[in-house]
Amino acid sequence: MGLGKKIYAWIDERVQLEGLVEFMGKKYVPVHRHSLWYYFGGVSLFLFLIQVVTGILLLLYYKSGEELAFESIQFIMSKVQFGWLIRSIHSWAANLFILSAMIHMFSVFFEKAYRKPREVTWITGMLMFFMALGFGFSGYLLPWNELAFFATKVGTDIAGVVPYIGKPLMTFLRSGSDVTGATLARFFGIHVAVMPGIFTVLLSLHLILVQAQGMSEPMHLENTPEKEKKKMPFFPNFLLRDLLLWLIVLNVLAILAVFFPWELGHKADPFASAPAGIKPEWYFLFMFQTLKYIPAQVFFLDGEVLGILLFGLGGLLWLLVPFWDRKSSRGEQNQAINYVGLFVILYIIVLTIVGWVA
Amino acid sequence: MMQGSTTPPVNESKRDFLKIVLSGGLIAWAGAVIYPILAYLKPPKQAEVEVSSVKAGKLNEMEKDSGKIVKFGTKPVILIRSADGSLRAFSATCTHLDCTVQYRKDMGLIWCACHNGRYDLNGRNVAGPPPRPLDEYRVVVQGEEVMISKKV
Amino acid sequence: MNQSHRYFFAIVALLMIGTTRLFAQDQCYVCHSAIGDTPSTLFQHDVHFKKEISCAGCHGGNSQMEDQEKAMDKKAGFIGVPKGDLISERCASCHADAAKMKKHGSSLPTNQWEGLKASVHAKLAVSGKEHIVQCSTCHQAHGVVSPKDPSSPVNPLNVVTTCAKCHGNAAFMRSYNPALPVDQLEKYRTSVHGIRNAKGDRKAAECASCHGSHEIRGVHDTKSKVYTTNLPGTCSSCHSNAEYMKEYKIPTDQYERFTKSVHGVALLQKHDLGAPACNSCHGNHGAAPPGLSSVSKVCGTCHALNADLFSSSPHKKAFDERKLPECETCHSNHEIVAASDKLLGVSAEAKCSQCHSTTQNPKGFESAKHMRMLIDSLEISEQHARSLIEEAEQKGMEVGEAKFKLRDVRQARLESRTMVHAFNLPRFTEVVNKGLAATSSVAEEGQQALDEYIYRRVGLGISTLIITVVAVSLYLFIRRYERNQR
Repeated sequence: MGLGKKIYAWIDERVQLEGLVEFMGKKYVPVHRHSLWYYFGGVSLFLFLIQVVTGILLLLYYKSGEELAFESIQFIMSKVQFGWLIRSIHSWAANLFILSAMIHMFSVFFEKAYRKPREVTWITGMLMFFMALGFGFSGYLLPWNELAFFATKVGTDIAGVVPYIGKPLMTFLRSGSDVTGATLARFFGIHVAVMPGIFTVLLSLHLILVQAQGMSEPMHLENTPEKEKKKMPFFPNFLLRDLLLWLIVLNVLAILAVFFPWELGHKADPFASAPAGIKPEWYFLFMFQTLKYIPAQVFFLDGEVLGILLFGLGGLLWLLVPFWDRKSSRGEQNQAINYVGLFVILYIIVLTIVGWVA
Repeated sequence: MMQGSTTPPVNESKRDFLKIVLSGGLIAWAGAVIYPILAYLKPPKQAEVEVSSVKAGKLNEMEKDSGKIVKFGTKPVILIRSADGSLRAFSATCTHLDCTVQYRKDMGLIWCACHNGRYDLNGRNVAGPPPRPLDEYRVVVQGEEVMISKKV
Repeated sequence: MNQSHRYFFAIVALLMIGTTRLFAQDQCYVCHSAIGDTPSTLFQHDVHFKKEISCAGCHGGNSQMEDQEKAMDKKAGFIGVPKGDLISERCASCHADAAKMKKHGSSLPTNQWEGLKASVHAKLAVSGKEHIVQCSTCHQAHGVVSPKDPSSPVNPLNVVTTCAKCHGNAAFMRSYNPALPVDQLEKYRTSVHGIRNAKGDRKAAECASCHGSHEIRGVHDTKSKVYTTNLPGTCSSCHSNAEYMKEYKIPTDQYERFTKSVHGVALLQKHDLGAPACNSCHGNHGAAPPGLSSVSKVCGTCHALNADLFSSSPHKKAFDERKLPECETCHSNHEIVAASDKLLGVSAEAKCSQCHSTTQNPKGFESAKHMRMLIDSLEISEQHARSLIEEAEQKGMEVGEAKFKLRDVRQARLESRTMVHAFNLPRFTEVVNKGLAATSSVAEEGQQALDEYIYRRVGLGISTLIITVVAVSLYLFIRRYERNQR
């Protein structure tokens, strides 16, 4: 008996791995022409785990505070061995995480995998996606560099435009009327304590639901007899494939970190004038760009307010799609959803590119 | 239902080779991941980022009527212990052409070697080309330790 | 003929009648001149008397009345001898009123009172009730004449003594500005301006030419004509005027050249108040060009190190013997541009080769050549180190430490450029070597950073290799595993 098996046996005797293996062995992943999209959930999970690990590592040296934040990142980048790697991976993985979560979300959307009985899975996933954007927004400020400072200023300004709750929300986010060291402290707390806690709960719920309910099948396969369906065991076949992809993703991250190290820029100076071409992170760009195009006054409404309200409404509708898309839940084809999804994707891509080039 | 042990003996030699490569590769990979993390965890030579304040040394190590250059982030700061024992710190970057200034015991003032710029012990430019006084830093003595921090 | 004669007499007669009538009516003058008191005696020569302005113009009252009581009745507006600010206000009642001045046929400006009120002289006097200076302080009260009149106290030739009445009086000045020197006139008499003024040249600058006449502001007042940044413009108002300076046969391009100089740029564009204006080298009240052998002393008030090094160098004696102006020989005078290494050495644009060649003063020729080589090699090695650091930085390496050390390199280069002025090869070599040592340590760090950059890539290559092996074998493993499953 090899050493590996001995260890397995030792653990198995104590915690009954057999049951788990049996459960996972009996779990099947449908195989069809859209199977590829299943992997993006796993990739997102892996990237999130990387964020947890590198985030904890960064926490060992990072110091929040107006006077220290920038310098401590500089310290991590120059003095700490492999600090440059950890920080660059954290920054890159954050972006890839949002990208992969986006792909995951759209694939679920087009497959209508959110339909009954998986509404809760969709809701938890969407909430996690919104939190991921929050992670990105709050984490962006932490190095306290010029770009981050002004992006945060603009970002919170936009939040301040929301009717009624805008001003208090902005004050809450900024911890005062302006972006200062107090904002940094607040964002830091939100980024490393508040959001990871909530995220973990949502993630557990999401994963448990996926495991308990199994992977969703595409609608066109639902009527196929059970015997003709192609499928593969979740364990070990699918998991090994997942693992293979994770390895590749990790390598991609390492390559990005080495060849395109995340820049630190200049330390934020609250009294300096904003540098030209302040842009938010790419995943906010389409919204930012839209707000630019809306005229200042639409009927009696302020253009910016209208834009924010429309985005808020859009987000809400998107979040609640399982509840208004009754057709899919009944198992009927719903072409309208595909058109909506296609429009949203095209809209995001076009405006992101326009915003990027501008 | 299917386990590795049920593999037919046909590929015995190939299986061994593949497994060796796979497990060897996994171990090497684990090493490639763990090594940077361990190296990262090792405390760096300079224990922490020091910028809002800097330890300038021990009080008893500083003679009266002397000055020394202390690195403050990326800028030099000159710490001066005057003849009466009082401590003062100024930016050590000459306001003329950015040379590093020094304390001149014989003159009793701060002097720049490049163009003979002179500052008194309040950092004011008193002679030579410097157009502006030196920025002052705050000096705090904690026990025996002399600390320099930015003036607020 | 007859006709025109008649007209002429008629006009003369009318004029005569008019005058007699007027002065017959100015009873103030009639009585006071009869007494023969000083004011009325002086007033005879007064420009206002000639313009037929009555005593009552300043003193009030009714000049038509023969009766003293009625003429000098307070109800008729008589104010007696004006005191304090009232003096200037009386003058201003006409002199600040363009319409009235025109009526009297005067084309004088009307802003004197405004100017005086804005001036340093308008501060409250020790009494606390009036300005320090009134119009009459400089212009006198009775017997005011045009400044063009040689007897006027404000005539260009008299201004200096007029001002010095107060400004040369230490006891008086102590009560207003104890730190202000009182030797301006004395210094002025030593200046080129002062000597010419004493010889009767009205065009030579006097106090008012630089300080202004009515709106005289303190030297630290940014609006003052002699405030450091305004001074070059003030001097140039005469010295750049080719027409005005024609008879003196001196150049008029000093200001233009100064504005292009390192000093002019610092002072006029960067508003660096430490930078020299005209007076820093020429003196202010005692303005004159510095003498040949004292140039280095003058420059040395700021560039002390260079001046000291020069004075102790072999060049000092050589320059004095050849009557070469010290610093100026290499650096020019008004248009002093930032010195560059090009001045050193034996190339065509270098200064050393103007006196040194292989045949003439050959020792200096060799030294100059060697020094230039040293300073060039320092510059080149600095550039090399800097480019290494920049390359490393561009590649995303953190080189803050090495950049900090680059300061030392730069400093050594500046020091070596200063040390040139000792014209002493061993001393120069020592400073350059210090710089070269600093440079090589920076270059080393830059190289290390670049090596680290390569090390990262190699590390990435190795881990990529490992991951590829794992990925491929995992892929094969999955394939075989699934084959066996079937």
